[in-house]
Amino acid sequence: MKLNNKKTYPMLSIAALVVLAVLLILLEINKNTFGMAVSILQKSAILAIVAVSMNLLNGFTGLFSLGQAGFMAIGAYVTAIFSIPTETIDSVYYTGGLAPWLKAMKVGLDVLPGFLQISLGILAGGLVAAVFAALIGIPVLRLKSDYLAIATLGFSEIIRAIISSPQMDKITNGSYGLKNIPGFALGLDFLPAGIGTLLVPFSVAGLCIGFMVLVIRSSYGRAFMAIREDGVAAEAMGINLLKHKEISFIISSFFTAVAGGLLAMFMRSIEARTFQITLTYDILLIVVIGGLGSITGSILSAFLVTAAKEWWLRFFDTPLVIGGVTIPLFRTGFRMVIFSLLLMLVVLFFRRGLMGNREFAWADLLSWPRNLSKKASSGPKTGKGGKKND
Amino acid sequence: MTEQTLVPVLELKDITMQFGGVVAVDNLSLQVHRGEIVALIGPNGAGKTTAFNVVTGVYAPTNGQVQFKGQTIAENFPRGKMETLYAGQNKGVYTAKVWPTPDLITKKGIARTFQNIRLFKNMTVFENVLIAKHMNMKAGFFSAAFHLNGREEEQMRQESLKLLEMVNLLDLKDEIADNLPYGKQRRLEIARALATAPDLLLLDEPAAGMNPQETHALTAFIRQIKKDFDLTILMIEHHMNLVMDISDRIYVIDFGELIATGTPEQVQNDPAVIAAYLGVDE
Repeated sequence: MKLNNKKTYPMLSIAALVVLAVLLILLEINKNTFGMAVSILQKSAILAIVAVSMNLLNGFTGLFSLGQAGFMAIGAYVTAIFSIPTETIDSVYYTGGLAPWLKAMKVGLDVLPGFLQISLGILAGGLVAAVFAALIGIPVLRLKSDYLAIATLGFSEIIRAIISSPQMDKITNGSYGLKNIPGFALGLDFLPAGIGTLLVPFSVAGLCIGFMVLVIRSSYGRAFMAIREDGVAAEAMGINLLKHKEISFIISSFFTAVAGGLLAMFMRSIEARTFQITLTYDILLIVVIGGLGSITGSILSAFLVTAAKEWWLRFFDTPLVIGGVTIPLFRTGFRMVIFSLLLMLVVLFFRRGLMGNREFAWADLLSWPRNLSKKASSGPKTGKGGKKND
Repeated sequence: MTEQTLVPVLELKDITMQFGGVVAVDNLSLQVHRGEIVALIGPNGAGKTTAFNVVTGVYAPTNGQVQFKGQTIAENFPRGKMETLYAGQNKGVYTAKVWPTPDLITKKGIARTFQNIRLFKNMTVFENVLIAKHMNMKAGFFSAAFHLNGREEEQMRQESLKLLEMVNLLDLKDEIADNLPYGKQRRLEIARALATAPDLLLLDEPAAGMNPQETHALTAFIRQIKKDFDLTILMIEHHMNLVMDISDRIYVIDFGELIATGTPEQVQNDPAVIAAYLGVDE
């Protein structure tokens, strides 16, 4: 069977997208029946944005940054302040009240429909994070590898400390956190109420990831990769290192903060503790499992890791009784042991992540079964050669 | 060589490079004229690559001045800790500090290759060359990101392909750079430097690790690109066959100091050079 690949593969991609959209809409309509799946998909879509933006920085530009939690916190808080309904804001800031200038801004913004206010909040969160990134990038991006990681880690912790400090009570509500954040809903009159639960996170994720893919495929993306490959040579090719690192850092931080805003809407209530270092590690894990330098790898891994961690492995957390005998080890927390074991196995067998630095391609997927059978019949050596021909 | 009107392209004036107490380059002055191939030779550790790094903006000189096409591209004088530590000459002659980053030097028209090949290893041959076109891109970030600069991008690609054809690497354009044989990697590194459209090309040991046959091919290649791209070339090299064959003039340095200069014949017979390379009987 000879396929006309130039025409077939885009058609396959479109078909896959249509199937995905139909599935999402079906889930959206029946979200009360599939509560768990919907919630996992929402979280996965959000983490996919962060994972791709982290990959842009770590995998494509070669900057080992661990400041993700800090930028997500910025995005989450800005979005929350914008989107908590003005009439309930006093009950959220019940200790000291909201700063007058912020309250005035919120009252002013109330002329806009709620949907626009939230979009504005998400955008503002991204922009605030981008400004922070631009400022700290100037000193920090001169550092290399581990030192950059430590500096950005420090930044992330400082943000968290500032957010929960009593001096910020009137803006961030200090250590009390923010609640009453509206969830995902389009809130448009001509649509049934509640529509948007999946549509909002998935379309935002699509836009964000789409933009980052465009950047990576542009001349700037090539410059980022050149810096990753060899900074000295890149500089000798006329690429201004600081400028390009800053651009990458700012884009990555912007989208990390956008995802932070979505996370606030997903969780409905946030506090500074949500944005601890462990959050950054969770994302780093997704990126490494997916493959540094692979966008599709990061997306795939965001969904797989989230689903495995929070859903598929739940089974291990409940006591198991077979034939009257209680199987030991099956108790709360055992899931994480299995999860970690699986991670170790994945890292051992896929050293460079599930996708390495390749992207998903229909050709690879379609030739996969054939290669497997080839491998089985003619041994591993020729099996590898077979893949190159496709 | 031919006595044309000599237009200096690169001029190093009293360059001293001192690291702590070690003087790596000591009061080095040299000129490279338009259309020349000049070689900088000397025993290991003589300070040749350091001199290159001063020209390309990797280091700021401790003292001295570098001029390119009549324009000062680097200048410095001993100060701070160096003011007391300075062990070189011509202290107080230079008074300004000019130190652009390497990318700005490249934009002015000086391209270089490296002693140990520094290709973008995991990228294709084509991409390696294409990256050099990025610095002259007119499109801003957003128009590039949204791919609105289609014509410019296409032109960059066409120019890169043309360059690859000129240096005989077109058939390897989709090969990953790291998978090329050694000689081709060297050639690609030179091609990548050429893609920045330089006036002056600095070659840091282009024949390092090559066998006589490859060296021979390289000699022809350097001659050809000099002609095709109207280049001026300054190179560091240890292969004396290549140096003597190709250079118009040679500068010899030892322990950071200039010990001889002249045509290949003059340098070959210079007792100071022979002493530096072979040692002298006491």
